[in-house]
Amino acid sequence: MNPNDSDASRFRSATADRRGERDLDDLLIHVARGDQAAFEALYDRMAGPVYGVIRRVLRDPSQSEEVAQEVLLEVWRTAARFDPAMGGAATWVTTIAHRRAIDRIRSTTAAAEREHKSADVSPPHDEVAEAVEASLDRERVRRCLESLTEIQRESITLAYYGGHSYRQVAELLQVGLGAIKTRIRDGLIRLRDCLGVS
Amino acid sequence: MRFFRQDLHTLAGAYALDALEPGGELTRFNRHLSRCQSCASEVRGFREVATAMAFAATTEPPAEMRDQVLAAVARTRQLPPEIRTHVRPRRTWGAAPWIPWLSGAIATAGIVLAVLFGFAQAHTQQQLNQARAQNQALAAMQARIELELDAARAHDQALAAILSSPHAVYLSQRTTAGGVTGVVLDAATRQMIVTTAGLPALPAGKVYQMWLIGQVKIVSAGLLPPVKSGQTTPVIASGIVPGDKLGLTVEPAPGTAQPTTKPIVDLPLPV
Repeated sequence: MNPNDSDASRFRSATADRRGERDLDDLLIHVARGDQAAFEALYDRMAGPVYGVIRRVLRDPSQSEEVAQEVLLEVWRTAARFDPAMGGAATWVTTIAHRRAIDRIRSTTAAAEREHKSADVSPPHDEVAEAVEASLDRERVRRCLESLTEIQRESITLAYYGGHSYRQVAELLQVGLGAIKTRIRDGLIRLRDCLGVS
Repeated sequence: MRFFRQDLHTLAGAYALDALEPGGELTRFNRHLSRCQSCASEVRGFREVATAMAFAATTEPPAEMRDQVLAAVARTRQLPPEIRTHVRPRRTWGAAPWIPWLSGAIATAGIVLAVLFGFAQAHTQQQLNQARAQNQALAAMQARIELELDAARAHDQALAAILSSPHAVYLSQRTTAGGVTGVVLDAATRQMIVTTAGLPALPAGKVYQMWLIGQVKIVSAGLLPPVKSGQTTPVIASGIVPGDKLGLTVEPAPGTAQPTTKPIVDLPLPV
């Protein structure tokens, strides 16, 4: 067994089978049929990552809470549109969360309220890790981010956690547009391999 | 052109991180994505990386949020599923959207008629018999609609199978009558999806017929559905053999055994 296999299974265990409960995809399929108990179980597993990623992008706790609520309600409303062929339930939900956070910063009012400093490059250490799994994810992502070149790491964290467009990232890092596109893509390829994503 | 495509491809990373600004670039990449199998799978992988980053940012939300969300869920209606085609939702590909609606309407009509028939039955035996006959007709109609629905679902699944095949390639050609024919060809199963945009609508009694034009023989590959708002819904043609070209001709309804007019499309099919 090569080390990548164990990494890959760790990734799956961290994102798909968290706390040994029913598979997230399966939960979401039940949610699509109007099963509120399934939604509660889904909430308990996804509210942390949803709120967390929105909070990283927006920073403001009350705005983040508002957007997180909208996202979780959107998950309930549109669960029937989830297509497992396009990726797992965890990815579907976190993609909605990140997009809604971005939508919020692109709306002008939020932009005015938002701090205009660059995002932290390292994942936060000041927040208490609630679940052991979360700190495991945090540790693995941190380790993998560290394996990138500085410009790859900065462009990916500024884009994802900072909610900046790649044009803004190019501006912030004083690097050409073409170079930033390539750095982001190369960095993601390395992260993908490091995290053992297929 | 080649440079341009290459350039689009490198946007996969920024796209997966939602770092493309709304506008031309995002629209172009979305369009590219619907045609580029390798880009789509790359984006899927990158999105999983993003998911791991989201999990790494896990933060306990305020405690009151749970009750608020669950209360909102209890009073919020869910959206119905989309008929899946694995194509961008804005396209009007796939099953005709009126079929489920129609089947619902017919079911409702059935209930109303059944109630009316209930009254009729109380009157005379003759009316009862009549009502039974009409009920049977109605049941037969409903069965037909259900068959149509099943066929539509099977068609969707067949489309999805071709579109998600790792061997699927996209081909297109302008027709000499105007408009474009688009083909998603799956060399592995020797099937293809044919769709058109901008073909002129035909007068009654005329149809567009597809052909597999081989070196030794020409075989019919079926008819295109009628042009609606400038498009034809996707159809599947199978049985392609190496050397075949896709031909399209205008023929008298309901199609002919061999083409009788000059093809307006002559598209090589690399299988």
